[in-house]
Amino acid sequence: MDTFSTLNASLLVTAIFLPILIGLILLAGRILPSSWVSGLAFLGFALPAAVVLWFLLPASGPLDAILRLRVDGPWLFKLGLNGVSTPLFAMTAVVGLAAGLKALIQEVEGRATYLGLILFMFGGTLAVFATDNIIGFYFFHEFALIPTFILTLFWGGEGRRSAAMQMAIYLTVGAMLSLGGILIAMDAAALSWDDATFGALFQGLLAAKDPLPAATGALTLFGLGTLASLFPFHSWAAPGYSAAPTPVSMLHAGALKKFGLYGIVMVAAASMQIGQGTLGQWFFWCALANLLIVGFICIAQRDLKQLLSWSSVAHMGPIFLGLWVGTAKGEAAGIDAAIFLMVAHGLSCAALFLLANAVRTRTGTYRFEELGGLAARTPVLAAFFVAATMASIGLPGFGNFWGEVGVFLSLRAEPLWVQALVASTIVVSAIYALRAVAAVFFGPASKHIEERAVHAPFGDLGFTERLAAGLLLAASLTIGFIPSLVTQCTNADARGIAAAAVRSATPKAPAAPVIPAATPKATTPAPSAR
Amino acid sequence: MSNDFSSLVHWILFLPLVAAAFSALFLRRAGAFAAWFSTATAFTIAGLSLQLLLQSTGDVTWHVELAKLGEISLGFGYLIDANARLMLFVVSFVAAWIHLFSVGYMQDDAARGRFFAGLSIFMFSILGIVVADNLLMTFIFWELVGFSSYMLIAHYFDKDFAAAASKKAFITNRIGDLGFILGIALCLHLYGTLDFVALKAAAGPAVPVAVGALLMCGFLGKSAQFPLHVWLTDAMAGPTPVSALIHAATMVAAGVYFMARVSFLLAPEVLSWMAISGAGMAALAGLCALAQTDIKKSLAYSTLAHLGIMGCALGLGHPELAVLHMAMHAFFKATLFLGAGSVIHGCHHEQDMLKMGGLLKKMPLTAATFIAATLSNCAVPFFAGWYSKDAIIEAAWHGHHHAVFAFLAIAALATCLYSGRMIRLVFLGEANSEAAEHAHESPWTMTLPITVLGLVFAVGAGFAAHYLIPASSLQVVDAALTSLHFSFTAPSTIIGLLALVFGFGGALKFYGTTRGADALQVVSPRAYALLERRWMDGLYRWWIDGPQRRIAEFIAFLDLLLINGVAVRWIAGGATAALGHLTGRTFHRGQTRGYALWIVIGSLLLAWYLLAR
Repeated sequence: MDTFSTLNASLLVTAIFLPILIGLILLAGRILPSSWVSGLAFLGFALPAAVVLWFLLPASGPLDAILRLRVDGPWLFKLGLNGVSTPLFAMTAVVGLAAGLKALIQEVEGRATYLGLILFMFGGTLAVFATDNIIGFYFFHEFALIPTFILTLFWGGEGRRSAAMQMAIYLTVGAMLSLGGILIAMDAAALSWDDATFGALFQGLLAAKDPLPAATGALTLFGLGTLASLFPFHSWAAPGYSAAPTPVSMLHAGALKKFGLYGIVMVAAASMQIGQGTLGQWFFWCALANLLIVGFICIAQRDLKQLLSWSSVAHMGPIFLGLWVGTAKGEAAGIDAAIFLMVAHGLSCAALFLLANAVRTRTGTYRFEELGGLAARTPVLAAFFVAATMASIGLPGFGNFWGEVGVFLSLRAEPLWVQALVASTIVVSAIYALRAVAAVFFGPASKHIEERAVHAPFGDLGFTERLAAGLLLAASLTIGFIPSLVTQCTNADARGIAAAAVRSATPKAPAAPVIPAATPKATTPAPSAR
Repeated sequence: MSNDFSSLVHWILFLPLVAAAFSALFLRRAGAFAAWFSTATAFTIAGLSLQLLLQSTGDVTWHVELAKLGEISLGFGYLIDANARLMLFVVSFVAAWIHLFSVGYMQDDAARGRFFAGLSIFMFSILGIVVADNLLMTFIFWELVGFSSYMLIAHYFDKDFAAAASKKAFITNRIGDLGFILGIALCLHLYGTLDFVALKAAAGPAVPVAVGALLMCGFLGKSAQFPLHVWLTDAMAGPTPVSALIHAATMVAAGVYFMARVSFLLAPEVLSWMAISGAGMAALAGLCALAQTDIKKSLAYSTLAHLGIMGCALGLGHPELAVLHMAMHAFFKATLFLGAGSVIHGCHHEQDMLKMGGLLKKMPLTAATFIAATLSNCAVPFFAGWYSKDAIIEAAWHGHHHAVFAFLAIAALATCLYSGRMIRLVFLGEANSEAAEHAHESPWTMTLPITVLGLVFAVGAGFAAHYLIPASSLQVVDAALTSLHFSFTAPSTIIGLLALVFGFGGALKFYGTTRGADALQVVSPRAYALLERRWMDGLYRWWIDGPQRRIAEFIAFLDLLLINGVAVRWIAGGATAALGHLTGRTFHRGQTRGYALWIVIGSLLLAWYLLAR
């Protein structure tokens, strides 16, 4: 019908399924020459980013049909991007490319399988944010998680067995609990698998005769919260990220983990009104604990990768609080800011995992007491690391700033003590992050590094590492300088979701607000790809 | 018509950003080129600022919306009023000369590319604060200033003290910024806008105390006021031009400028606190300067004292006087720091004043400018510092703030004391070390800036004071200035002259009595130790090493024990018992089959649910 959106839709399909297809080839074709392996894998890692650059970035201005494209197929293949998922999709593409570049220069056993599994994980994560069907959403999440477990188990570092096990249990239980909640909701909304889009669920629940059972929201929220390391269901995260191979930590902590948050925004926020009532209070306290308690745990860390893993948990605190104020008070800014922070955190935390590993490959250690004075030997690595650290603690210019400040400002009507506790994160995060920078890079060279420089001399950041880290930081700077790139996607949907989250429960008037993210798809037959 | 100048402001603001990016990306190994490139940029900006100062009349305004978060508009724009115009000129002018000075001072430094990129990013940040038209934009550049300061203090990062000092500066500033951001949120909540002009219209006469108190936190951090003053003396670990530009002339003064900008949001209680604590700070820091032998640290205490005086002026309700003193102080304190840099450079990186001496003959140009700036610092009549500082003391007298007046009088005396001591130890007497013996005058790139800033501005700016004073405050200042000009019987002048004769003269004499040692330390070691001791630093150190660390470790332990250990294991154990022997084994083995089993169980449960419905 419309050639332009047909073209874009087929590009979207290619962006998602090409990595998976190449992953399959790599898994099957062990006889491929190694140059083919690298070339094919690179294609799989790079194509989604190229698609994002090619058709998402130029689509500036208010969201229009170009972005609200959809591909109609059987339930698994109902694909589409909405205002919330577009920035997350774009972020995943960038993080995946950076992780892929890192994976390509790693020397590992069974390289083709390793790369193939990472491509599976990448393609699955992209699909998570591009699917419109709730069952497909879960399917692709599991599709991406299984390679994550396998990669951690076989290619991970210290403590990988118990970490992979713990992660598998937590994440499966979390996913099952939340799916349980959603299935109950689907039942209440009288939806079949084929029709179960995000928008249809909301519309169905609005039209439903009986109210949802109270436990539904709790199951969904805490199930999805577990996947996004909501306190006190966070124990899997730090060991999991720490033990995983670096590209996996990057993709998991940066992109795949946002599945839980995205799910909360799309399913739990409006449809189940999780911010309301007792559940809302529980949500608030867990989110606050995430920020405060885990922040202090970060201060106690003595190991660079452990610190990054824990801080990646702590940074979920502001995101949860933004979602809380959005769903509890109908403050759209909270949802806007939370999505912004999801995107920015994905970029900065992937960059930090990448650069920390660059420290490790050079010095053979992550321990602060053995590190020190590295900046004199590796100035470029130090500069990148300082930049990524500054991004993660919300320095203006990087995307994280808008997310953090947006969350603070969206809490402006809350009591001062709440605001003060939340904003204390700018001090606490500076304490642990700058301490890490000083311990690793500043001061005189440590004894360990002196010895290392003699026995196993190391150089500064290589070209590929620079490219990968540069990509992530450049993306963060881009949304830092031009925040409207993200907000123009999210504004309308955030407003709709926030309004729907606080709608009064009793009257099912036709005037009740709707989720704009989903309405065009639910009501009008969108252009088909076929 | 005034809006035609917005494109000029674009250039002024973004030129340094472009220069910084270019230097950081391409000039890392081309130090000499980076130095001249950055300096040329700085002079261009100074020229453009001068053009703006001379040609524009009325407020220059410009605004765009960057993005929206919910209903919150994230704005970016310019508001250049009289204060901003003056600040813009002072910042860019002083900065340009300090850039030139750095070319000579940093000649042998291996990391010049990084240094000059840092200076340029600092210029971008501070200019952003000056031109910002809303609170959020101020906060953005406020944070960026903190970052550039962090980066430049950490220039000698392989030294432990520089690494520690940079971290301390950044974190202390962030503590202040915590209050600042809460203040911004409160403004948005109460008035629905962050725009200065709109805020002024919306605020009205009765502003809640919390607004001003929270916004003041930002000022306390950035301008190093009690109790967040601890970072400034440590920040002297950075290269001397950085101390001159950032930690004396401009960044620390940005706090004063900002408070002047939002003075309509400050409740009387906030103002009283600022007046008293500022004056107290001025007196105390001035005395502490007597117990420092490092020339830069002594000057840092002097800066603390002057920032206290500016804060006091704000508190007395004379923001314009505070901005005026900020400008005058920028000229003479930059000269003093650059002079100190020249001395340090000449003495082969010796910073201990007790090891200097007799430099008057060896470094005449440096000595002359340093002394001129010192006299300005001591508020000798008709020197630049006199116009602004005495006007503030006069304002305290006229306002019947007796405690403030008393503190300021002590501050005036202390200023003369440490200034006399400095001159005596550094320039007079005999050389006290090998380094001072072989001291040499610095190259022209260093002496030209101090001559311009010192002789022309530290001395001469006072005569132009009338033109520099914003018209809005002419009335207040005029009364003070007129009485000063024509009568030497004003209380502030009497105090000032007494301080000068007894303080400055006394110090010159007193500190000549011992050689190679501090006279006060010899006469009364106890008094010296009392002034040298850093009480607040001790308190913070106690908190960081004690409670903060223990709390962090305790929480980490609890998390491991209760949540990860007891709760999870217990629940998991319970589930295991319920699910039976088979799953129990998989837990303990932790093998691939373990989670494969979980996935199978999950799929089965799902299938069961679907079939059952």
